[in-house]
Amino acid sequence: MAAETPTLIDPRKTFGQAVTDLAASDDRVVVLSADSGLSSGFGSFRERYPDRYYEFGIQEHGTTGVAAGLATTGKIPVFAAIAAFVTNRNYEAFRNDIAYMGQNVKIVGRNGGITYSDLGPTHYSLEDYAIIRMLPGVVVLSPQDPGEIREAAKAMIEHDGPVYMRIGGPSIPDLFPQAPFTIGEGRMIREGSRATVVTTGTITPEVVVAVQRLADDGVDVELIGMPTVEPVDAALIRASAHRTGRVITVEEHYTRGGLSAAVGEALASSGIPVHAIGLPHEHIVTGTYSGLLARYALDAAGLYERIRLLVR
Amino acid sequence: MNTVPLQIEAELARLNVLRMVRAGGSGHLGGALSCIDIVTALYFATMRVNPQAPKDPNRDRFLLSAGHKAMAQYAVLGRRGYFEETLYDTYGSVGSKLGGHPDLHKLPGIEANTGALGHGLSIAAGMALGLRAAGNGGRVFTVLGDGELPEGANWEGASIAAHHRLDNLVAFVDVNDLQISGPTAEVMNMEPIADKFAAFGWNTVTIDGNDIDAVLGAVSTADGEKGRPTVVVARTTKAKGISFLEGTLASHYWKPTVEELDRAEREVHARIDNLREWNDHGC
Repeated sequence: MAAETPTLIDPRKTFGQAVTDLAASDDRVVVLSADSGLSSGFGSFRERYPDRYYEFGIQEHGTTGVAAGLATTGKIPVFAAIAAFVTNRNYEAFRNDIAYMGQNVKIVGRNGGITYSDLGPTHYSLEDYAIIRMLPGVVVLSPQDPGEIREAAKAMIEHDGPVYMRIGGPSIPDLFPQAPFTIGEGRMIREGSRATVVTTGTITPEVVVAVQRLADDGVDVELIGMPTVEPVDAALIRASAHRTGRVITVEEHYTRGGLSAAVGEALASSGIPVHAIGLPHEHIVTGTYSGLLARYALDAAGLYERIRLLVR
Repeated sequence: MNTVPLQIEAELARLNVLRMVRAGGSGHLGGALSCIDIVTALYFATMRVNPQAPKDPNRDRFLLSAGHKAMAQYAVLGRRGYFEETLYDTYGSVGSKLGGHPDLHKLPGIEANTGALGHGLSIAAGMALGLRAAGNGGRVFTVLGDGELPEGANWEGASIAAHHRLDNLVAFVDVNDLQISGPTAEVMNMEPIADKFAAFGWNTVTIDGNDIDAVLGAVSTADGEKGRPTVVVARTTKAKGISFLEGTLASHYWKPTVEELDRAEREVHARIDNLREWNDHGC
């Protein structure tokens, strides 16, 4: 059977357009750029709303503080830049000015995970779920396909409080019919009995293919997409885990502190094993994105093998 | 103008600081007292604020970038009517609304949760941008410490405020010359402070920051400045107003004996009596 080549869509343009559309009906929405707005998909926002687009140059800490200050005056600042820089570089401002002050600011990390595969560890974000989910009151979103990005953007703007959203960089396929997004709600992608696979974000397209191949081979696993990493949908995970008796998490993040930890915490008293698949806790090499996914067995073929061995 | 009533207010605020230290047993007294004349002048003679409507969107904003000077703001907010002054007696107790650093969730009149240094200027710039967009004429005042200037984030905020021409932003630098490890000039010399801000594009004014008349003059200069934020380099004395603590490192985080506290209060009371006499009889 010849596989159809799916249409691939730029997640940054999708996100930027979604926010631009939302801004038409909510004049509180303003966009902050640290020399990062245009590459985050905000070109048309800047054209349409020049007086709601603020440029600060390359300075993530200061821009995060400005976002908090703007929010105190009733604005809804959306600050998008490279994920590594809007989580690590500005972490104390994120922690104190956004989280502790409880400000209605939306920080968006693009090119999350290893999607900047040619640029190396300085430009990877493999600890962002972990460090941002440690901040009380901050929602962490990680939508999985263009439709989810659009709906998550809407949910993010409508949510009254701090949000961190991570999106990727390379173009991605449509996976699901577009549907309203509820923060904290997981998505049952495929029901199964042998194990529960929980995944999120940029890696979901690979997992979907891997799980389908397993099903074709008679290995029937359940697949849950978790586009909200914090707060994770603990009820859905527990119900599924109790049915299947085994949980595997897959994420484009270190196997520490991120989705695997959130899922593990949800199942801590259950006795059900959780196996974490992600990036090893080391400084990751550079190369093509598809090449890196293959090297770390995070492409569909690698995931197929690893999940098959785990449920054998 | 006759600033004696304001000077009396500043002294009453000093008494509130001593009251908090008495309740909690210790606190960042030195920096609170070096900037308290500035904070008093702003809240009593300059800022558009309404203690009965502390969240009024048209209010002017005040935030401490040097959050450890919180007692100065608390001392003035209570005097200004934001809360009952009996609250001062909870300072240092578990769950008090008056923490060692300010928290907007706990106390009316607090605009930012500062304490980690170097954050205030960027937050203030964001507020100034938002108020300018709202077109309500709102101004933002912040107090930085000289000791926090090496934090790079200050200079991110300084560049933002200048680039975006935030003439509704006034930053005071409370230059009391001392920080926890010693003289600021020895720990990390950031002089000439005014020149640094000027190089970023700020309007600069240098004053005696313990002179209320000078503080009011600086604000009126800032109000007349168009297209540029203003920095007021306020030369002050650490622990100003407590003779045996002025200019001492021990005052940075003061842990007094009861006798020392009594002595400090007597000094302030004596000054208040003198000021009242002067004000009432003009002699």
